Amino acid sequence: MTGLKTAMRARAALAGMALASTVLPSLASAQDPVTLRMWALSGTGIEEFYAAAEESFQKTHPNVDIVLEVQDGEAYKTSLQVALVGSDGPDVFFNWSGEDAQRLIRDGLVLDLTEGATADGQFGTTLSEGWLGAFSRDGKIYGAPANAVSKYFYYNTFFFDEHGLKPPSSFGGLLQLCRDIRAIDPEIVPLPLGNSQRWKMNHYITVINERVMGNDALRADYALTAPDDQLFTNPGYATAWEKVLELQQAGCFQDAPNATTPEVSRSMFSSEVSPMIFCGTWCGGIFDSEGYTGYSMFRFPPIEGGKSDGNSNMVVPEGVQISAKTAHPKEALDWASHLVSAEVGALRAELLSAIPSDASLLDQAKVTEQFRWMAADMTSLAVQYNVIDVEVEASVANAYLDAGTEILNGTMTPQQAMESIRAAALAAKAAQ
Amino acid sequence: MTRNPDRPKAAPMGKAASALILLLPAMGLCTVFIFIPALLAIIGSFHSFGITSQVWVPAGLSNYSRAMADPVFWVALRNNIFIVVGSIVLQVGFGTILAAILDSGLPRGTTVFRTIIFAPMVVSAVAVAVIWQVILDPNVGVLNTLIQSAGLTPPKLGWLGDPMISMWVILLIAAWQYTGFMMVLILAGLQGIPKEIHEAATLDGAKGVTAFFLITLPQIRNVLVVAILITTIGGFKAFDLIYATTLGGPANATQVLGTYVYLQAFNLGNMGYANAMSVILLLIALVLGWLQVSVSRRA
Repeated sequence: MTGLKTAMRARAALAGMALASTVLPSLASAQDPVTLRMWALSGTGIEEFYAAAEESFQKTHPNVDIVLEVQDGEAYKTSLQVALVGSDGPDVFFNWSGEDAQRLIRDGLVLDLTEGATADGQFGTTLSEGWLGAFSRDGKIYGAPANAVSKYFYYNTFFFDEHGLKPPSSFGGLLQLCRDIRAIDPEIVPLPLGNSQRWKMNHYITVINERVMGNDALRADYALTAPDDQLFTNPGYATAWEKVLELQQAGCFQDAPNATTPEVSRSMFSSEVSPMIFCGTWCGGIFDSEGYTGYSMFRFPPIEGGKSDGNSNMVVPEGVQISAKTAHPKEALDWASHLVSAEVGALRAELLSAIPSDASLLDQAKVTEQFRWMAADMTSLAVQYNVIDVEVEASVANAYLDAGTEILNGTMTPQQAMESIRAAALAAKAAQ
Repeated sequence: MTRNPDRPKAAPMGKAASALILLLPAMGLCTVFIFIPALLAIIGSFHSFGITSQVWVPAGLSNYSRAMADPVFWVALRNNIFIVVGSIVLQVGFGTILAAILDSGLPRGTTVFRTIIFAPMVVSAVAVAVIWQVILDPNVGVLNTLIQSAGLTPPKLGWLGDPMISMWVILLIAAWQYTGFMMVLILAGLQGIPKEIHEAATLDGAKGVTAFFLITLPQIRNVLVVAILITTIGGFKAFDLIYATTLGGPANATQVLGTYVYLQAFNLGNMGYANAMSVILLLIALVLGWLQVSVSRRA
């Protein structure tokens, strides 16, 4: 309750300051030095990006210093939760949309930005409703969406041209492509899969689920709102796992995906040992920084007999939220708005290979043709959906992650995998 | 009434107060960092709450009954026991053999030999994990290359990806890191044995392996008990090496109580359940500690 009261007081202060800022210049910010602690996920170009963003922010907020702290993925999620509950947490922090953000909203650990964000000049007036929905709950805004990431198949254009290969237009075509590559050289792994941390296969099954069953059929199950006797009972779920086995049997993956790290699998592609990889939009920046630019991309193809026509893809909005315990709500909101502004959006694309929330910003950014292609493709999607381990309740996500490992190891059948996921979903629903 | 001359005099008040004052900082640290968190963990084990929850909901014994019915909890406990027994055999066993070799004297290179064996101990567990992940990588790792060049076939699912062997691999990595420490500990015990005992044994006709098992080992019994105690504690504390290599996978095959508590607490948000498993682990550690101290006292 203490956290909620603090959040309410901070929200009231924020609303008052937002109202004042529309009438008066920020006299307070021009006078009192303020330090904002910013937490972010580690990655290529992160420090450079935030340094540049801070420099431009200080043109209008010279009294505000940003102290950046970065951590890796799993450690970041854990540390963030602990820090927000404690007394020494960040003021502003990076977060994924979906369950990661919603958990913090439910527990009153992040600031309600609705009133402040919709004031003149703030991000609520510049971003579309679709984007704002990524960090919203019950009609209120709890975060500023900055960019989105997605997944594509990257392929070695030189290898493809040399062997007369073409990007597939169907799932069957993808299987045949893997067989054709193995026929060229059985030692070549067409699609290295680095599943040692479990999430790589989760990205595959997220897309395959949608391709098989269509996005609408998944919503009630993912949200645990389907009736108990129907929860995760769609036979399409088992079919989706069978598609994973088909990829494995076609020789797409190497023998030991669960013992391969994501970094090694990425390096197998960028060092041209393997001609394809299913990787995130952020991978382009990594390949470019490693000096490998001879690649292009294609979307996960539609699956024969599936409900999806393939004009859809996994899109994970990311952004920043503000701690409910921040001592500087006005400055934190200004900083958050700045991070999703047009000026910083272009920087985000250049330095982080992140697709900004306003794709038109790419016109001003110095990015590669491949990056522009991905950004344009994401804009053209008819349907977007979040990744399973960000979308669903934690124990259901964990069951999906474990199932992926067991399917690849052959220690679970698709039916057994869905039984374990359904059991986790029923238990999670009963506990709500 | 006369005073018993054998009874020690009571310490003056000043000495007792001084002792208390000197103990206070350590007691304070123990209270803040051990006793209070342990007490909170015990209280938390009877509640349901997440790491970001504002309210702890009383849950009675449900977290404990959940642990009893959770197959992954039993897998984790079994893995901990496996690490303890395996580490005692490998680390203490090989450590004793290596210490005996050093104690008997090498013609040359004693210092180099000792340094090489001890060196992995000074590397952090995470660095060890990263190094071995690269060595064991099924695609680019040197171990598979060596095995294949010898005409053999490495495991299809990978050293760390095969649920049947991954726990053995973790055990061997831990043995590689910590055997040197056991060697140094036991060597100190061996070097503390008076020479006269060896001379007397030799005069009586006890030589070589016979003398080692019947004369030398009993002399360092207390050191071995300490070594086994340290290994046991380390086995139940196992976390960093496993977290950095396999995250408890594949599919919980290398899960230990430390990593499973972490998963439940920080990834799945079941702090109450995680606390209950921590309390169970604490009870196991207390029982084992009492057993080993009893054995040590009898020795």
